[in-house]
Amino acid sequence: MKVSELVEKTGLKAINEYKDSEVESVYISDMVSDLIASAKANCLVITLQTHKSLIAAANLVAAAMIVIVNGRKPSEDVVALANRTGIGLFSYDQDSWTFAKQLVKLGFE
Amino acid sequence: MDPCTHEWSICNVRHGYLVEEFCFECGGRRSLFSIEPVPPTEEYREGRHYWAYLASCQTVKFDLKCEACGRIVSLNDVNGLMLSECIDSTCQVGALVSQQGPGSLVYVAICPNTTHSTGKCVSSEGIEALNEYFKAKLAPVGRKVTVVPCKLCNSIDKCRGTSIADVGLTDIQ
Repeated sequence: MKVSELVEKTGLKAINEYKDSEVESVYISDMVSDLIASAKANCLVITLQTHKSLIAAANLVAAAMIVIVNGRKPSEDVVALANRTGIGLFSYDQDSWTFAKQLVKLGFE
Repeated sequence: MDPCTHEWSICNVRHGYLVEEFCFECGGRRSLFSIEPVPPTEEYREGRHYWAYLASCQTVKFDLKCEACGRIVSLNDVNGLMLSECIDSTCQVGALVSQQGPGSLVYVAICPNTTHSTGKCVSSEGIEALNEYFKAKLAPVGRKVTVVPCKLCNSIDKCRGTSIADVGLTDIQ
């Protein structure tokens, strides 16, 4: 599923300009070091972290997009780094589980 | 020359703590990886050094395995990765950062003893394997990273960058 389609169907709010790439998997983690060892390329990362370290890790796994839950917003330097990497940053008002259930309904397993 | 065009994947994933220590005697700093349920904080003597606990964070270590030839490259001497934002033109890493194009970033592989007093740093085969692994993973999405050993930094302790570590993540909330 394309990033744009996901945004449209789940009500995500885009934080930066994003590349409309294909999302192939989902990984939920609030540990950035864990992302490097476990997340797959072209994945959607669900997290409540907003630290710059998150972008540094997500870039290494070729993540397609990051969804920051609970309505949290990253600072400007975090968004600037995401722009350099081309990773789409999105905000979701509710918690990780609520968003995960939406993804399952859309066919992610 | 190695005849295999390696297809690296992550293996031997270890979850634990990165513990940073300081020596009262020589002023040196070093880090170690601990798989204990609670990170060790005891002070202890080791030769002429007297090591004291400074800080710790949760982290993950791993090795790389070639799916084609079965070769495993140990990354035991990599205690972390740092996205470099160095602007020091007199530093080899800073110079490399300034040469990067769009979508291309430099990461520093940090070894356990960043004073390099023993002359050791991350192995060249580890750096090579990490570069090949990330190149294969990122090329299809049009991104590129270059991994360099921390011995290329003028001073890793003063270097400008973002370490990939699970510490201080809520500081800016």
